[in-house]
Amino acid sequence: MRNILVSLVFVFTSFFLLAQDVAMSATEMVAFQKQVKTTSQAAKTIQSDFVQYKHLDFLDNDIETFGSLQFKAPGLVRWEYTRPYQYTVIFKEDKLLVNDGGTKSDIDIGSSKMFKKLNELIVNSVKGELFNDDDFTVTYLKIQGANKAIFIPKDKKIAGYIASFELLFDKKDGAVTEVKMIEPSLDYTRIVFSNRTLNKTIDDSIFTQ
Amino acid sequence: MIRFLLSSVLLIFLVSCTPALTRGLVEFPPTKATIFNPYFSNDSQDYIYKAKIDVYGRYFGGILVIKKTGDETHRVVFTTEFGSKIFDFEYEGHTFTKNFVVPDLDKKIIVNTLKKDFKILIQEQMFVVSQLEDSGVAIYKTASKKRSNYYFFGLNNTLQKIIHASSSKEKVVFLFQDVSKSVANKITINHHNIKLDIVLDYFKK
Repeated sequence: MRNILVSLVFVFTSFFLLAQDVAMSATEMVAFQKQVKTTSQAAKTIQSDFVQYKHLDFLDNDIETFGSLQFKAPGLVRWEYTRPYQYTVIFKEDKLLVNDGGTKSDIDIGSSKMFKKLNELIVNSVKGELFNDDDFTVTYLKIQGANKAIFIPKDKKIAGYIASFELLFDKKDGAVTEVKMIEPSLDYTRIVFSNRTLNKTIDDSIFTQ
Repeated sequence: MIRFLLSSVLLIFLVSCTPALTRGLVEFPPTKATIFNPYFSNDSQDYIYKAKIDVYGRYFGGILVIKKTGDETHRVVFTTEFGSKIFDFEYEGHTFTKNFVVPDLDKKIIVNTLKKDFKILIQEQMFVVSQLEDSGVAIYKTASKKRSNYYFFGLNNTLQKIIHASSSKEKVVFLFQDVSKSVANKITINHHNIKLDIVLDYFKK
């Protein structure tokens, strides 16, 4: 009897869990893509705080780092960690300008196709613009309180670094609220955005080192 | 005259066969059989460090994660600030497993250097071969294949430094600073034979 009860609970829980992630219908998908595109196009500048959780299966706790980001259309991004250390990276054309607690360096990503792709991914996920990308197989899901897009890289070299890339979008305004990069080992990095401000003037000078 | 020359040459040879830091110090039989490195020995603690690496003038940063995962097992993982893994090593007793290394860094010489460095860093218990003393600092010499490791213990029996050396030269110096509750808040690893320096700063919440 107890076993049957346990099985029943298990079956119901599985149904409940499955019910959390539902694939979008074709019409829902079109509406969702349109919403995200509108939101993304309206965003001339974005400012946001974030918390980054690095999950490694052997650790007791996720590694938490805190910071902020600033985006200016079409493709300038300043990504800054403020706690527990100071680290800034500016995405500018084919370069990453890094300031690691006072130590400055440039990384030229122009020569590496993969770096370019990863750079594009980061800039696009900040904007919420990852659609119709030939390099990924995309799945759209509805979850509680949010829409979710899962990107699986087609390129084998990128797939060696990232198994999938998941974005969560606010159901009401189509803005990105969370980014999750899952590695082939299933360890992941999860970035949760908060205090998002749209279209406040940002001076170009913050995108220089 | 010839005898004098010979003995001078012999003396120079003998002196140059000892690493500079222990030169002039007298070795004596050890007062203890084993010594202990406490810095990565607590299995309920996640050791997270901000890392800065300078290799042949090329600079890059990241996060170094060390965790004792079993009685004789440690994981050593290095990621970028964004969280993508650069390398993932596992040490179990004398067995080393390379779980992952980014293809660009997956070269034998790089992997072997890092493998040896982190092995010395996490090794908890060592057998003492001989002992030296230098103004209050107890120096224990332990064997590591053809080379030796010198462990420097200062005030309150705190491990301050490890020197990995051949019979005549210092190869790698590990410096532990700002130590509290068996955690070294700052660690520097300087290589003397190659241009590789690593600075580690413990994460403070």
